[in-house]
Amino acid sequence: MNSNRRQFIGGLGALAAASFPMPAIAQAKPKLVVVGGGPGGATVAKYVAKDGGVDVTLVEPARRFTTCFHSNLYLGGFKSWEEITHSYDKIAKAYGIKHVRQRASAIDRDKKVVKFASGRTLSYDRLVLAPGIDLKYDSVPGYSEEVSKRLPHAWQAGPQTQLLRRQLNALSDGATIVMIAPPNPYRCPPGPYERVSMMAHVLKAKGHKKSRIVIIDPKENFSKQGLFMEGWQKHYPGMIEWQDPKMHGGVKGVDARSMTVKTDLGDYKAQLINVIPAQMAGKIARDAGLANQSGFCPINPENMRSASDANITIVGDACIAGDMPKSGFSANSQAKVAAMMIRGELANGRTFPARYTNTCWSLIETDDTVKVGGSYTAKDGKIAATETFISKTGENADLRKQTQQENMGWYAGIVADIWS
Amino acid sequence: MRCSGAGRIAASIAMSFVASWPTAALAEGDRALGEYLSSECVTCHQLSGKYQGIPPIVGWPEQSFVEIMDEYRQKKRDNPVMQTIAGKFSRDEIAALAAYFGSVKSKN
Repeated sequence: MNSNRRQFIGGLGALAAASFPMPAIAQAKPKLVVVGGGPGGATVAKYVAKDGGVDVTLVEPARRFTTCFHSNLYLGGFKSWEEITHSYDKIAKAYGIKHVRQRASAIDRDKKVVKFASGRTLSYDRLVLAPGIDLKYDSVPGYSEEVSKRLPHAWQAGPQTQLLRRQLNALSDGATIVMIAPPNPYRCPPGPYERVSMMAHVLKAKGHKKSRIVIIDPKENFSKQGLFMEGWQKHYPGMIEWQDPKMHGGVKGVDARSMTVKTDLGDYKAQLINVIPAQMAGKIARDAGLANQSGFCPINPENMRSASDANITIVGDACIAGDMPKSGFSANSQAKVAAMMIRGELANGRTFPARYTNTCWSLIETDDTVKVGGSYTAKDGKIAATETFISKTGENADLRKQTQQENMGWYAGIVADIWS
Repeated sequence: MRCSGAGRIAASIAMSFVASWPTAALAEGDRALGEYLSSECVTCHQLSGKYQGIPPIVGWPEQSFVEIMDEYRQKKRDNPVMQTIAGKFSRDEIAALAAYFGSVKSKN
């Protein structure tokens, strides 16, 4: 594979000439194909393309992307749909990225081509897979993609998120919301608990006195638990009830017809049920044989390359990133390491040791935001935390407000970094 | 990178920060290194220099940049995100970042 690459970069092997009958073959640039236009994929595409010398194609069916991060703020009424939705047009134009608006259906790793349902193929020298997550609908008995049209998961931003907001806004006082939280590992560890905070914010703002939110959690603890618990007590006393497995005994399933969540120790009738199922890497990566038994894809922490195919890099929620959580920030950080390493291979770019960062902000109530984050590096075969931090309980209101300004500033920054 | 974060920072402080860095010696930062390292910063600090809740850091005098990062490393400045980020950079890396961001002009 290496010799092929050198031939290609060097300009010119008979093989390349045979495959690409173009007169200007001597100028052919090495080809990067990126599958998936979320924060991981779009960032790699931009960062590889912006310095030239590589032909970059982004395969992403959507014309505009709605971020999962800050979709809870949309739910809570803090942001509009437009504010969390971003077009690919700017980066396509500014950096010469070809945007192929189709869904890739498969990868042929031997031939190094991406396939489409139409029969079309796209060849690559290097491939980046950033397919995000797929949901394991059957991890909750009674749940399915069909049932999700009534009991939304809203864990992939889009119509599901809008459906959840409509359902939330339609509730009358005295309503019960049940959220089935996901088991580890999943996208956005504090996300379910920020979502519950936003639901409570909406109910409180509408003057609900008797509505309640029950979280049925398969985990014994969760991200920023102390901070959320403190915030819920302070802002929404008596409204939110979190149940760990000792309290509910295990999730037995959902019944969409009777709007019931069944657990070992009791059933809950609800007016709104939000099921966030277990998760796995996007299908295209699993079908290509790049995932292990966990359902996610092992990578080399030095460069984000797949552990089983040196021509493929995997970033974002689909990969196993060691101590890094699955988040938009993490995907963006991994993508920059990936882009640097790919430019090192394809365009003789300088390379430096990989380093990664993440911060996750969570809004609990207006002007009350907390954060958790860390720095990471490749160590002992995985991406390992070198330093971490978390907001403290009992912080003063000024600091929490400042943290919310930082949260909004970060969002403006990261979307400018990815989509402009 | 070879020892744990806290230990590394403690060691760095002991060795390097008895006094602040002599900034005159940091004038010649490696701009290419700075450009790569900057990718971590521009997730929050916009390269255009636009302010939307997080302060812009482009076009600063290099010496000010180094001094402020030094203060985050020593935890004289509060923000834990910046303490964590600044804490892992070596003096050469901070100089590289200062050289890079110093060379970028704000579009605002």
